[in-house]
Amino acid sequence: MYLYLPVALTSINIFLPVGLGLIVGMLSGLFGVGGGFLMTPLLIMLGIPSTVAAATDSNQIVAASTSGTYAHWKVGNVDFKMGIYLLIGGFSGGLIGVEAMKVLRAMGNADFVIKITYVLMLGIVGTYMFLESLSSMRKKKSEEVKGEKESKISAFLKSLPLQTHFEKSGITHSVLVPIFLGAVVGILAAIMGVGGGFVMVPIMFYVLKMPMHVIVGTSLFQILFTCIEVTFLQSYTNHTVDFTLAVLLLLGSTIGAQIGAVFGRKLKGEQLKVLLAIIVLAVTVKIIFELTLTPSLLLSQAGGH
Amino acid sequence: MRYFISTNRVLIIFGLLTLLLLPVSMDDAFAEITANAKHDHITINSFYHGTTVTISGFSNPRDADLIIKLTSPDGLQSLRKKGKVASFLWMNTGELKIENVPNVYFLYSTRKIEDILSREEMDKYVIGYPALVKHATINVSAGEEKTKWFNEFIKFKESSKLFDTSVGKISTTKKDRKQDYSILTEWPYQAPPGNYTAAVYAVKDKKVIETAAVNVFVEQVGLVKSFADMAKNNAALYGLISIGVALGAGFGVGMVFRKSGGAH
Repeated sequence: MYLYLPVALTSINIFLPVGLGLIVGMLSGLFGVGGGFLMTPLLIMLGIPSTVAAATDSNQIVAASTSGTYAHWKVGNVDFKMGIYLLIGGFSGGLIGVEAMKVLRAMGNADFVIKITYVLMLGIVGTYMFLESLSSMRKKKSEEVKGEKESKISAFLKSLPLQTHFEKSGITHSVLVPIFLGAVVGILAAIMGVGGGFVMVPIMFYVLKMPMHVIVGTSLFQILFTCIEVTFLQSYTNHTVDFTLAVLLLLGSTIGAQIGAVFGRKLKGEQLKVLLAIIVLAVTVKIIFELTLTPSLLLSQAGGH
Repeated sequence: MRYFISTNRVLIIFGLLTLLLLPVSMDDAFAEITANAKHDHITINSFYHGTTVTISGFSNPRDADLIIKLTSPDGLQSLRKKGKVASFLWMNTGELKIENVPNVYFLYSTRKIEDILSREEMDKYVIGYPALVKHATINVSAGEEKTKWFNEFIKFKESSKLFDTSVGKISTTKKDRKQDYSILTEWPYQAPPGNYTAAVYAVKDKKVIETAAVNVFVEQVGLVKSFADMAKNNAALYGLISIGVALGAGFGVGMVFRKSGGAH
């Protein structure tokens, strides 16, 4: 059964976006990522113009992350306090990132620098996460050695003013820490043109030391607000949100997010980390292929980021 | 007086001769072609998945070749170019702007265009991709670079189902001095709303001897039109509704799962 999409100006078999939404929603509920890395290129493959694909994806992520946040909140796995500080940072970071992007573009060759940085960053984060979680799954004893190494960073973080306790995560940090880290991710997200889930989740784990299950719920909470902002801006300034397509996608993704959250609770934190690391590495490899293999078409629709 | 009579005679003889020659040359001198479109008003509703448009008519002389060109009005096409950076990485390297080019271009002919039409006539009536290149203005240096990017443009348009050329799809039936023609075209759902023109050319001796045209109008209706209009003209409200529905759906599904115990 086909449905015509008024903004994308194309017709689509309704089972494709619903199925796609289900799969991406599951990843979202499981790992606390938006899933744009998978959804946007697949929508383009289905014939949706790239600008509409990216904008509509952010609209469906609003639904998937609401569903996912709700599922995680029910079992007490969302640290709202931490999420709000990260959001404050993320919002200001996004504004800085947009300005930085203008400067980079004016300097020329910005795309090259951005893509290379993105690939390197994902590659390093993915590899580190993969190796670290594998070794900690094997032996838990190494914590003592690690403790020595990390004490310097911990001491520095503890010396910062405005220390506050985050009850849900069971940690104490200066409010400046999540605001700063949120800003870093916000800048990166604005420059790279992707959501910050892949960067935010590892930062929450390795720097903020939050428990893995709380990370997923809190990351979704933060993604929810970021995508609300992006959806509004995209529909207001670019008119590229296709509501019909978004509804088809969210039919699948809201349910998928719930299923993902259920699976997530059955997995241990380390297992979740290994799986996420594998996905991050797979995305890295995909981008490397995209960058090096000759594309079948040398032109694409202009517009968007 | 004698002079007057002889002039009359000359005129009469000339008139008779003209009448005698008329049937021989009539085919060319009074070339005729008509064009009609069945389904010339296409409406796009929620379940639209493309349609078919039949273009038919007759041509006189009966042995003329036919070319049908279905196009949208000329305009500007902006596309992103991909190129090699640092000699091994494929990235966006700038924008390709092509002016004076249609968004949709379908060409059907009874025989291969190059075999039935001269290069000059092709250029004059913008028939065929080579003529389209000459007709368009493109923001790259002339020569190889222009040909390369125009070929890429055609490849991109063909992959989007908005450009196509085909030979032999026009069916013809000879009748007395005329020939009836008809073509059933698959109208792609990718073709956006707007006004289209189907121009029919009767071709003989490598020249266009007559043309006819018919318009095809494509418009959105019902919910499709309401959404498209709202997205453009009432963008803030459209954005807020999109967000509201997404939030509602997220919460709604969350509640359903909670009630059904799916989350535990």
